[in-house]
Amino acid sequence: MNPESTKMFSVDEKDILQEIMNIAFGNATADLAEVIDIYVQLSVPEIQILYIKELSDFLKSALKNAATTSIIEQKFQGEFKGSGLLVFPEKAGRCLVSILDNNKSNSSENTSTAALEKGALLEVGNILIGACVGKITELLNTFATYSPPQILQEKFNEDTLLAEFYDPLQTAIVMKTVFTFKQEDVDGLLLLLTNQESIGWLKKALNKFIESYE
Amino acid sequence: MIKKIMIVDDSPVARRMLKTCIPKDKGYEIFEAENGKDGIEKFQDLKPDVIFMDLTMPVLDGYGALEQIIKLDKNAIVIVTTADIQPKSIETVMGLGAFTLLKKPAKAKTIQDALAKAELKMKEISGEL
Repeated sequence: MNPESTKMFSVDEKDILQEIMNIAFGNATADLAEVIDIYVQLSVPEIQILYIKELSDFLKSALKNAATTSIIEQKFQGEFKGSGLLVFPEKAGRCLVSILDNNKSNSSENTSTAALEKGALLEVGNILIGACVGKITELLNTFATYSPPQILQEKFNEDTLLAEFYDPLQTAIVMKTVFTFKQEDVDGLLLLLTNQESIGWLKKALNKFIESYE
Repeated sequence: MIKKIMIVDDSPVARRMLKTCIPKDKGYEIFEAENGKDGIEKFQDLKPDVIFMDLTMPVLDGYGALEQIIKLDKNAIVIVTTADIQPKSIETVMGLGAFTLLKKPAKAKTIQDALAKAELKMKEISGEL
C-alpha cells in the first residue's frame, strides 16, 4: 500500500470501515442463508487504500486464474458509490445449482445447465453484494441504488474494468473478504471498490458513525 | 455479582463500541483481548465473570476460544457478539456452551439486558437463587 494513499484515512477510520464491512458481510450471509441452504464461513475483512496502478496488480493477484473464475459484478450509486465484485472458482455455479435444486423441486428441465448456473451465480451475487452494500449504507445513514448484477464473461480483464470505472489519477478503497461455502468447499472473494469521489463523504460518515458510540 | 468483564474482539473499534454500551455506574472492571488465544490466556489470568466474544478473529477464532473456555470452566458466561448471524453459526455457538448470542453492532439495551441475565445466572450458579 502506498504510504500517501494510506494517509487519506486515519487508523481509526480504517478500523471503523473494517468493522462496518465485517458487520455488513455477516448480515449479507445471514440473508443468503434465508434463501438457500448454505453455510458461509467468514474471514476477517481487509481494507486497503490503493492507487489505481496498485489496484491493477492487486486485482491480478486476487483474481489469479481468471480464465477459470466466475465474476459477478454489481455497481452501486449514491454518496457511497462503487462496484461490488464477487469472485468464485468455475465450479461454484454447479455447486450453487445443486444446492438450489434441493431447495426448489420445480426447476425447469428445459433450462440449460449453463443458464441455470448463470442464474444461480447472479442470484447469489445480487444477495451478497446488495445486502452487504445495503447494510453499509444503512449504518452510514445513506442509501444506494443498484445496477443489475452481471457476469463478467470470458477471460476477465482487470484493465478494462479499471478503465471503465476509475480515473487513473484516482485512488480506490478496496474492501476484501474471503469466504467459504463450507459444505461445498467453494472459496469466494468479495471486493467492494469505491473511488475517490466517495472518500470525503465516507470519512465524514465514518466519524459520525463512531460518534454515536461516544 | 458481576465485577469483571472481558471483551474479546480483534477490532479495536468493535471493542470501543461495546465498551460504550456497558453501564458506567456499575463499577465494572473491563478488560480487552484481541483474539481467541489472548482471550483464553486472559481468562485464566483474570477470571472475568462475563466474556463478550467475537467469532471471526485471527490467530484463534471465537468458536475455538469459546470451546476451550467452557472446557476450563463449564459455568463460564460467554456472550457471543458477532455479525455472523447465520442459523448454523448460532446453533454451533449455543452447542458449544455460549450463554447467548448478540448481533453486531452492539446496542446499549441488548448489552444491558444480557448483563442482567448474566447476573441472574451467576446467582443461580452460586446458589443465591
